[in-house]
Amino acid sequence: MTDVRDIIACAETDINTAVIALLNRHRINVHFLSYYGDYAGSLLTSATSTSGETVLAQAQLAKNTAASLEIAHSIVDSCAFNVRRVIDRKLLTRPYSVLQNTLRTAESAAHMMGAEGTFRRSAWEVLDTKLPDWLQLGGRSRRPPKNAGNAFISYVNGITYARVLTALRLTPLHTGIAFLHSSIERQRHSLVLDISEMFKPLFAERLLLRMVSRNQLKEHHFDRDANQAMLSDPGRKLVVQATRDEFAFTIAHRSLGRPVAYDELLYLDALALTRRCLEGTPYKPFRIWW
Amino acid sequence: MITAQDVGGVHIKYLYHCRRQLWLYLRGIRPESLNASVQLGEAVHDTSYNRNSPVDLGAARLDFLDGRHWVHEVKSSARPTEADEAQGRHYCHRLRNLGIDVKGAVLHYPKTRRIFRYPYTPEGAELAEADIAEVLTVASSSASPDRLSNSRCRGCSFTDYCWTE
Ligand code: SF4
Repeated sequence: MTDVRDIIACAETDINTAVIALLNRHRINVHFLSYYGDYAGSLLTSATSTSGETVLAQAQLAKNTAASLEIAHSIVDSCAFNVRRVIDRKLLTRPYSVLQNTLRTAESAAHMMGAEGTFRRSAWEVLDTKLPDWLQLGGRSRRPPKNAGNAFISYVNGITYARVLTALRLTPLHTGIAFLHSSIERQRHSLVLDISEMFKPLFAERLLLRMVSRNQLKEHHFDRDANQAMLSDPGRKLVVQATRDEFAFTIAHRSLGRPVAYDELLYLDALALTRRCLEGTPYKPFRIWW
Repeated sequence: MITAQDVGGVHIKYLYHCRRQLWLYLRGIRPESLNASVQLGEAVHDTSYNRNSPVDLGAARLDFLDGRHWVHEVKSSARPTEADEAQGRHYCHRLRNLGIDVKGAVLHYPKTRRIFRYPYTPEGAELAEADIAEVLTVASSSASPDRLSNSRCRGCSFTDYCWTE
């Protein structure tokens, strides 16, 4: 029980006071996903890791335009690096260098997000060429996802978001103060959006391509109609299971010299950002290195 | 950020182990919940001496005080360290200041079944005061202390924080 840090509720759930007390005692967060896999909300245990001084340092950094743009820049760059790495190194060479050029001169986080959007669109197009017709995305759509491919991506992204939230709650950082996404935006945990960027391709796009190449995804894994789609019950089981296995997968970590699970990579990245805030050490967001 | 009254056993332990660890701890870096050795420490606690309930001293927490006024502490490590001794001294000092006539600290190492006694002396009181002052100095420093050498960090639950790139 002690090493359970979070539970992601993918189906309708009832929770009573006794359960809340138990979860709180063991410091377990519960995250709720909607049918589409969107993040719907969380039951978070009381924050025991917060620290006024760290949050102040984080806020100062976020208000310092040059410093926060530098962080936003490295986040977008790492995200695109990972997208390219997962989808197609060669075909995305040009869009990636265009993005890098734009980032160098970008004057605001919004500008950077725009450039990222352009890069992402090229990447989705290349991704479609590797998918069977019925799984192609035809551009990204959410709430509700237009088709099966989008439903898949949304779902895995929702799980990733929840896991990043758990990881961040183990650090003293404030989840509402972000560098790329605007802070305290629509009551979302904007810093979770920042950190999720680098990890979404590692899980969502990568898993989609792998499951397609192994012929694991079938039409009955989705409920579809003319303009929206979602995972069916068996589909959700399959995808949740595959994502869970992926989070538990371990690799040798370079600087720590020990095996770490993908799951831990989220936490390590959150720690690296904490160090940036607290001590000014350069923050190099997660890049797939293997 | 903290006052002399808030200085507890953990602060003293970290002061002796690594100043950087103390500095980070004071700023909310608490990686313990992820570290297996700490969970083990709690388990040792639960099973070895459950007859005696811990005495709560605000910031300082000790395992129990026996009838002859010795402070007892149970350690999950195998070997005594300077930090353990300093921590025991700190608890004695706190209790003395509360008017309890503490004789000294007894440290228990169930792993190696060894027991060490450290009588409380006037010199010990001076050292305990100096340790508290030193914790406050580290606390108020705006820059973080340097890392120890990689080899001395082995086993420290802060390594993920200090050494991740
Ligand atoms: S990892 Fe090393 S430098 Fe960091 S707190 Fe522990 S002992 Fe100190």
